[in-house]
Amino acid sequence: MLIKVSSVSNSGLKSIGIDVEVNVANRGLPAFEIVGLPSKAVDESKQRVRTAIVNSNIEFPARRITVNLAPADVPKEGSFYDLPIAVGILTSVIGCKLPEESLFFGELSLDGTLRHTKGALLLSLFAREKGIRNIFVPRASANEAAIVKGVNVYPIENVSQLLSYFMGEIELKPAEYQEGKDDWISTQAEFDMAEILGQEQAKRAIEISASGGHNLLMIGSPGSGKTMLARALPGILPTLREEESLEVTKIYSVSGYFPPEGSLIKTRPFRAPHHTISQVGLIGGGPRPQPGEVSLAHRGVLFLDEFSEFPRSVLEALRQPMEDGYLTISRSRERANFPARFILIASANPCPCGYLYHSKRQCLCTQREIEKYRKRVSGPILDRIDLHVEVPVVDIKELAKDRRFKDRLESSAQIYRRVMKAREIQKNRFIDEKIHTNAEMKNRHIKKYCNFSKEVKQLLQQAGVSFQLSARSYYKMIKVSRTIADLEASQDITVSHMAEALQYRPRIQERVM
Amino acid sequence: MKTKNLEIGRLGEAIAKRYLQDNRYTIVAQNYKTKYAEIDLIVRHKDILVFVEVRTRIGERFGTPEESINRKKINKLIKNARGYVAGKRYNKGYRIDVVCIVLDENKKVKRIDHYRNITF
Repeated sequence: MLIKVSSVSNSGLKSIGIDVEVNVANRGLPAFEIVGLPSKAVDESKQRVRTAIVNSNIEFPARRITVNLAPADVPKEGSFYDLPIAVGILTSVIGCKLPEESLFFGELSLDGTLRHTKGALLLSLFAREKGIRNIFVPRASANEAAIVKGVNVYPIENVSQLLSYFMGEIELKPAEYQEGKDDWISTQAEFDMAEILGQEQAKRAIEISASGGHNLLMIGSPGSGKTMLARALPGILPTLREEESLEVTKIYSVSGYFPPEGSLIKTRPFRAPHHTISQVGLIGGGPRPQPGEVSLAHRGVLFLDEFSEFPRSVLEALRQPMEDGYLTISRSRERANFPARFILIASANPCPCGYLYHSKRQCLCTQREIEKYRKRVSGPILDRIDLHVEVPVVDIKELAKDRRFKDRLESSAQIYRRVMKAREIQKNRFIDEKIHTNAEMKNRHIKKYCNFSKEVKQLLQQAGVSFQLSARSYYKMIKVSRTIADLEASQDITVSHMAEALQYRPRIQERVM
Repeated sequence: MKTKNLEIGRLGEAIAKRYLQDNRYTIVAQNYKTKYAEIDLIVRHKDILVFVEVRTRIGERFGTPEESINRKKINKLIKNARGYVAGKRYNKGYRIDVVCIVLDENKKVKRIDHYRNITF
């Protein structure tokens, strides 16, 4: 008897419908075969399905079972074909009817229960898009799938429960989406801004960066507080907007980092990969393209501590995603598009020993060493970073003295309120556009939204000539000044806004003496 | 020695035959010779044809009867079964079983185990 069960195959962030055809033949030597380009994980599903059915106290048919995953020329990957295969075998043996317009998805455990399976959100999005009414998913993945409205998500505990439902013995209720915590997603802010003494300029730069989505490079001696500043950043990041939430959750759903019974991601991700990361780890890739750190940091922050220690090839690969906000990973078998719109926060030492420009200590590096060190990060990358800021050393005496004035320092909550206000202005400004922040503005947006007087233009042009700004950083300066103006809720960009923006200009030429 | 092993084998086959009959299997053929080799027993259970391989040992000191069935032997059993099915133009379901018999020194049955559907 031939049974057709519907499921999906996820490739990147896209899904295609898959028909799982199960034929249980009455002739021939008993066998269990899966065709249709199954990967190892899919092929091993034979063992899981058989054992799960046996352990659910249902006799496994000793017949010739052939499973075809159609279309047969698309490579299949993942463990979620377990459930559709098991459903196909059971219904053909028991002879009950399958519910119409249904998708099945889930990995089986040997005892017959269903395990949390990655990609459930993509399944329900696919179902909604195609107008399929019901989806059957593992109970632990049901909340994730139920994020999508308009699809009946049936949470399944185990094989026997599903079978009783088919036989009409029990009723199943569609899962209702439950709001939950997403504290697993990012490292919460480890510090409050009020805990960081001094560093007013760096704090201001971080505030601008969070407000307008600008990339930031911090250069300073060891122990000056670069990492601490970056780690305090999650505390002032605005919460995700609704449509952004779904984008981020989708990426986490396919990457397999989404926890069981997790709910929509509301906080911005903060990713801080170590500098030994590989190119594929950062950008994404693999024979079946998987999202990398840049995509996991989508709509959030990618913090690269010890920026100049990262391998050159890894950093250079950042160029396109930094510019486009997405990337296409092409492999021989398939290609996938992943969004990667992140704020890059980088921190680095000024020289190998770290004490160049230090007020008290002597730098021990030779000129040649310094030049070599600088060359590790290329011009094109530095040019794409909007804000460059120096983080000077904090005087120990000041540190001891300042303790008393700690209450006067601004807390993260105060800064957060300003950031949110600036974001609100940007939201209203770009309401008809596809972009969200000032940093994403293209030239035509700049023309449309950045009004400034003659004096401002003059200042910018002067600066452009004397600082040898590239065309890109010229426009970046306008974007940064737009954000600074937004922080003051000012309609127009004034001279003071532009002057402040120019303080954070890329200083590549000046740095190499 | 050779004849003694053969003798034990024949004895085992007889025991297996009786055992299967007791379990409501119908005997179709015994020691059926195909092109390749001999099939110990061919029986029928409901509408499934069963090819039975009988393994007999006296004592388990020199290895169990189960151990004597390796991949090579299984492939041979499958080949035999296919040959029979093709020759008889049999068109329904069939399977391969193994019956393992352990005898004691007095050739009394110590244990008898029936493994159904070993190729699956």
